Amino acid sequence: MSFILLLEQMFNGLQLGVTLFLIAAGLTLILGIMDFVFLAHGAQVMIGAYAAASLTALTGNFYLGILLAVPICFASGYLLEYLLIRHLYRRGHMDQVLATFGLILFFNELIRIGFGPAALFSSLPPSLSGFVNILPETPYPVFRLLVIAVGLACALGIHLLVSRTRMGAMVRAGANNETMTAALGVNIRVLRRFVFAAGACFAGVAGMMLGPLTAVEPGMGEPLLILSLVVIIIGGIGSVRGAFIAAILIGIVDTMGRVLLPVLLRSFMGQAAADGAGPALASMMVYILMSLVLVVRPTGLFPPKG
Amino acid sequence: MGVVSILLEGLSRNRALGLILMGFALFPVLSGIMDEPFWNDLAMRIMLLGMAAMGLNLVLGYGGMVSFGHAAFVGIGAYCVGISQFYGFDNGWAHAVISLAVCGAMGLVIGFLSLRTTGIYFIMITLAFAQMLYFLFVSLETFGGDDGMSIDRADFMPIDLWDPLRLYYLIWAALVVVSLLLMVIVRSRFGVVLEAIRGNESRVEAMGLVPLRFKITGYVISAMICGLAGTLFASWQEYVSPDIMHWSRSGELMIIIILGGIGTLAGPLIGAVAFLLLEEWLPELMHLVAPAYAENWMIIFGPVLIAVVLFARGGLMGLINRVGAGGRP
Repeated sequence: MSFILLLEQMFNGLQLGVTLFLIAAGLTLILGIMDFVFLAHGAQVMIGAYAAASLTALTGNFYLGILLAVPICFASGYLLEYLLIRHLYRRGHMDQVLATFGLILFFNELIRIGFGPAALFSSLPPSLSGFVNILPETPYPVFRLLVIAVGLACALGIHLLVSRTRMGAMVRAGANNETMTAALGVNIRVLRRFVFAAGACFAGVAGMMLGPLTAVEPGMGEPLLILSLVVIIIGGIGSVRGAFIAAILIGIVDTMGRVLLPVLLRSFMGQAAADGAGPALASMMVYILMSLVLVVRPTGLFPPKG
Repeated sequence: MGVVSILLEGLSRNRALGLILMGFALFPVLSGIMDEPFWNDLAMRIMLLGMAAMGLNLVLGYGGMVSFGHAAFVGIGAYCVGISQFYGFDNGWAHAVISLAVCGAMGLVIGFLSLRTTGIYFIMITLAFAQMLYFLFVSLETFGGDDGMSIDRADFMPIDLWDPLRLYYLIWAALVVVSLLLMVIVRSRFGVVLEAIRGNESRVEAMGLVPLRFKITGYVISAMICGLAGTLFASWQEYVSPDIMHWSRSGELMIIIILGGIGTLAGPLIGAVAFLLLEEWLPELMHLVAPAYAENWMIIFGPVLIAVVLFARGGLMGLINRVGAGGRP
């Protein structure tokens, strides 16, 4: 196991981490502020990926495709909140689970009808498909670096938005005590809709960035949804800072586990068995980490004060 | 006599449950007359999923503990059969005892660790344990790994299961036993305390009871019921793979309960009937109306679930009760 391979994997982990953060940031606010169990957040990732892939194909320009896809994601989140979600805030968690599960089925099928069941592959423009040397003699894909950069920039943006702006202050106040915030004259209903649309937007961006790296297919959002729920729980529900730290942690643990565990297993079992068991055990690591965190700190690492 | 009178009273209080069980008892006659043996297969699947959902409902509906990982117990129950057979151990009754013991022990450990948390954290930690078990079985190449292992229909001496109808009535009998057991549990002191904990845990504590003990006991019982369903599932499907423990299966069990009516005895069974019949009929219906989209029946199924949430509060049981009360609230 060479140092260079480890470094590459660290970068891959970082890239998975920032992607997970983009999905988890909105979801942690939806869970934290609105106390709403929104399982269809993964569908927003899928919508973002499909919007970007099809608009790129349509316009023939990758950047233009992304640029046009962002408002589509925002609109889909806004409309979804307006049409359905706002009627469900006062319902119990179980009703929310059932309704948003129905949404997952609906969106996955809608995409399947619209684009077919096969995976879509989006190609990168030549300027992004090359490699750069992160260290001498250590090439790394430009696009993955860009994903990390965009993810970190978005994270910074979300942090500033939540902690430095008037809107962010309202969001934080709403997370602490919604009734009191409404009594102080904040329009909670509009605030919720904005948080929802913004969350959909960031999830969509995550989908756009994943598009060229993985397959764009119906149901692509659900595994990501589960992973980002893990991130949210480890970070503490409603905490954007916690979500960021947990996302990076999960991204690196998952990626490194996939590389290191098969090597580790190979030292005391056969090559074939180790290669079979390694990835599955690596997937377990994330959940072991989460349950360890919860057994020690039952409300996550950074529960928001309130 | 005490138990018998509780059972009789319970049956008169839960007419819906009695009717469904009776319906399942008579169903093979109908499918025999119609010469549609496939219907029995579907009915068995409904009963098995209904049984697992009834087990989950004890913690989810009565105890207010939203466990998102109960498919793991169904899976363990099924794997207990598969692994026993792998080592040449064929007796079905023994499989059932092993499943109950293993699922009870797993339920104890997982419940003990998970019940430190509440709310959404509890949902997620139960999911985490289920995912660990899922990936564990994916990684166990000896027992088929990702591809699963095939299972022979277990040998329930002296009941020879070569006739599918015997398997049907074995499953039915198990369902009746589980129903009666739950009926007694729900009406017992234990069940009342469990419901009280859902309502207000601190008050129960103030009365000098230890809520955690009741919650863990409930969790263990529900895990064992799911394990039993899994044991029979193995004989029905004659195959088991990690897919049975996938998180979407746990979600399916939850959906069945909410659809049927959470916290009612008959709800999970009604939910299972509705869920699986929709799954069976919607594609055929779509085939009639819009043949090109027959495969895309979920585009209807999803909105149906949403409509149930929006317009049928308390699930199908709530709807039945409202109709039964003559539209009175």
